[in-house]
Amino acid sequence: MFQARLRQGRHLAGAAVCAAALLTLTSCGGVQGGGGSGEAAENYPTKTVEWTVPSDPGGSTDLISRAAAKALEDPLGQSVVVENKPGANGAVGGKEVLGRKPDGYSLVMLSQSLMSIGPHTVVDDDPIKMSDMDVISGLTVEDYVLVVPAKSDIETLDDLLAKKSVKYGTTGAGTGSELAQALLFGDAGVKAGGIPFDGGAPTVTALLGSQVDVGAVHVAEAAPHLTSEKLRPLAVFAKERIDFLPDVPTAVESGHDVVVDQRRWVAGPAGLPDNVVSELRAAVKKAFKDPEYGKFLENNYIGRWEASPDAVVKQVETAKKRYGELIDEFGLDLKTEG
Amino acid sequence: MDFLTPALDGFGVVFEPQNLLYCLIGVTLGMLVGVLPGLGPAATIAILLPVTYTLEPASAIILLAGIFYGAQYGGTVTSVLLRLPGEASTVVTAIDGYEMARTGRAGSALGIAAIGSFIGGTVGIVGLTVAAPLVAGWALAFGPPEYAALALLGILMISTLSTGSLRRSLLAGSIGLLLATVGRDPLLGSARYTFGSDQLADGLDFVILAMGLFGIGEILHSLERLRQGAPPEPRVGRARPSRAEFLQSRWAIARGTVVGFLLGILPGGGATMSSMVAYTVEKRSSRTPERFGKGAIEGVAGPEAANNTAATSSFIPLLTLGIPANATMAVMFGALLLAGVTPGPQMIDEHPEVFWGVIDSMYIGNLFLIILSMPLIGLFVRVLRVRASVLAPLTVLITMIGVYTIRSSMFDMLAVVVLGVVGYLMKKVGLPPGPLVLAFVLGNLLETDFRRSMRMFDGDVTGFLGRPVSATLLAFVVVFAVAVPLLSLRKKLRQPAPPDTTTTLERTPDHPRTAAEPGGPSEERQHPG
Repeated sequence: MFQARLRQGRHLAGAAVCAAALLTLTSCGGVQGGGGSGEAAENYPTKTVEWTVPSDPGGSTDLISRAAAKALEDPLGQSVVVENKPGANGAVGGKEVLGRKPDGYSLVMLSQSLMSIGPHTVVDDDPIKMSDMDVISGLTVEDYVLVVPAKSDIETLDDLLAKKSVKYGTTGAGTGSELAQALLFGDAGVKAGGIPFDGGAPTVTALLGSQVDVGAVHVAEAAPHLTSEKLRPLAVFAKERIDFLPDVPTAVESGHDVVVDQRRWVAGPAGLPDNVVSELRAAVKKAFKDPEYGKFLENNYIGRWEASPDAVVKQVETAKKRYGELIDEFGLDLKTEG
Repeated sequence: MDFLTPALDGFGVVFEPQNLLYCLIGVTLGMLVGVLPGLGPAATIAILLPVTYTLEPASAIILLAGIFYGAQYGGTVTSVLLRLPGEASTVVTAIDGYEMARTGRAGSALGIAAIGSFIGGTVGIVGLTVAAPLVAGWALAFGPPEYAALALLGILMISTLSTGSLRRSLLAGSIGLLLATVGRDPLLGSARYTFGSDQLADGLDFVILAMGLFGIGEILHSLERLRQGAPPEPRVGRARPSRAEFLQSRWAIARGTVVGFLLGILPGGGATMSSMVAYTVEKRSSRTPERFGKGAIEGVAGPEAANNTAATSSFIPLLTLGIPANATMAVMFGALLLAGVTPGPQMIDEHPEVFWGVIDSMYIGNLFLIILSMPLIGLFVRVLRVRASVLAPLTVLITMIGVYTIRSSMFDMLAVVVLGVVGYLMKKVGLPPGPLVLAFVLGNLLETDFRRSMRMFDGDVTGFLGRPVSATLLAFVVVFAVAVPLLSLRKKLRQPAPPDTTTTLERTPDHPRTAAEPGGPSEERQHPG
């Protein structure tokens, strides 16, 4: 809190200097909001950059944002302040930031689940489109692992799929956790009922207490309980086996073509000036090399996905199309109570 | 007593000068944050996360934990003085605490809250030290069916939470349940009553509802009284509770501590639920239940002891199982991860200095809190001397800033004003806001967990009876809703109600009426189905 205030003070002082300088050239209106894109963009960045997290404090999105924003401050030469604007799986914060002026001072972290899975599972008349944003860079990829309580008699994925009926826990409606399991059980033809919880931690709690038979969570959320052998991994929904769990097969290996992960990227409102994009991209690339950021990712089993803007857009469109095909193929309906 | 050795070593960590300092900074900051409504401990801890990067893990967590339990006490101050509950767990404190302040006993209310919090917190830490690993597993037995049953039980208790008639409490409670359905369907994600607005997609925020109905509503009401030339607010009174008041509250503190410790361990709303249960326990066990809602000191002491104990015991699932029990603990979980410490069963072996350092810092932190708060009470109550024409706009300003900090939303500021007008109108027609707000909190829990349970049972309602804990809780519901009213009805028929000296025409004690209407609560029971 105090730091934020200090930063603001510094920013005000900086703005005052700029105002004095600009006063001779143009009107002072340019200082307040970034002004006309041309001139203000030339010396980007001249003030604090706001990085919006469209979810509550404490979750993955929040933690990754805070780690990345901190790593970004040095290369950018300005403070990067993280602000939480949660709501509607990220749609509230996303829409708000993407509706602002494209000046490079408002960035937002967005996720694949919102853009690729949400449209298939959640009714929304006015969803965010990829064309609403200018992607700066891909950031991270997190894999899902399918786990059962250690006490369970289910030892392998085949055991699970041989059950007559299964109750599975998910981290919520419209999440990769829900989609991955719905697809898996749909493909295997198992009668299964999903029980959505409010995120990863409550899902893990339900699994530890054997409230559900099985559940899918991010690797980081399951990791401490896999190490202490309170939970048993059955499969990962990644394309290939993951480093942290080399002995755990992928769902694909077991004959079920289900690949679902969570990818995140940072973006600004569509129409960012070219030099702002290149300035931000260069700074982000340097931030990726920050040792503390690296340590954070490693400690939390978060993979790097430092993709170019085009690659991000392509990934989102491909995933959206692919998930839609699979949902149709298995005749799933994730929009109503099943 | 091998396990005590590392526990004592933990004090070595705490007594390092810089850690003592971080503990002091933490609780002071926490108290300030608690006083400012809206800006909760979860958000503050998140804001401070980057600062803690550079600290030792133990120091970082000591600082952040201090903010958490410091805020529990700070929230009480605005609840009592201004009827602005900043946290769900201090709503019930506002009921009797504010009445005490209005009758010149603000100092007593704040003092007993501080003492209750200190005792509850300290006992909670002792419990945490000795029994943490033993009781941790208990929380896991609580699945969706148990939460649904617990929420149902809680909603029945609403009838005891107000001074108005039972019918009005139930009406207000029902409105609360309806408001709880606004926002995304918790299981499907489809929009309900949002009028196509993303702002309402996640429903109304609890803090906004509470600050609008209680805070702004109360300000509007007091301005009206001011215009009518009502006598000014009573004098400030003494700055700390008298010996008699302490003796009157000691069992309330003891009972609140036990309730808080047990319910705090449960993931999800432990502190809120425990303060409510503690209030109900006090009112039910009191020989003079009609004093409640009019400034009964037990109505402050019990819930305050309970919510502080719960704040402490909510560390148990985090530190021993790696399960965050509430939003603040979730941020704390993140802070531990950032510090390279993974909370969970292995933490006590891998990072004993962090585990015990944090627990032991709470003893010291609680001591700091009571040393800080007792002299500050005199300062806080002086707020009441400020003229209403100055205090009211100032309170509105603080509320607005607080609301904006929740998620930086202009819509929320508008919502709090609208709800303030609603709160004022409710007061005019005699609908109590307490039951509405608490039904709102529990309504979310009830709906979500009831539907989760039905999915677990494949739609078979009798599944609730097949699980020991949920069956027991439902048995309590039956006793509460049917047996108790019937019994007291019989008692009432046998002997006329004792004359009550404090009763006035507007304020009828609700207890005898509860007895007269056995149908009321059971109607409520059918609501979720």
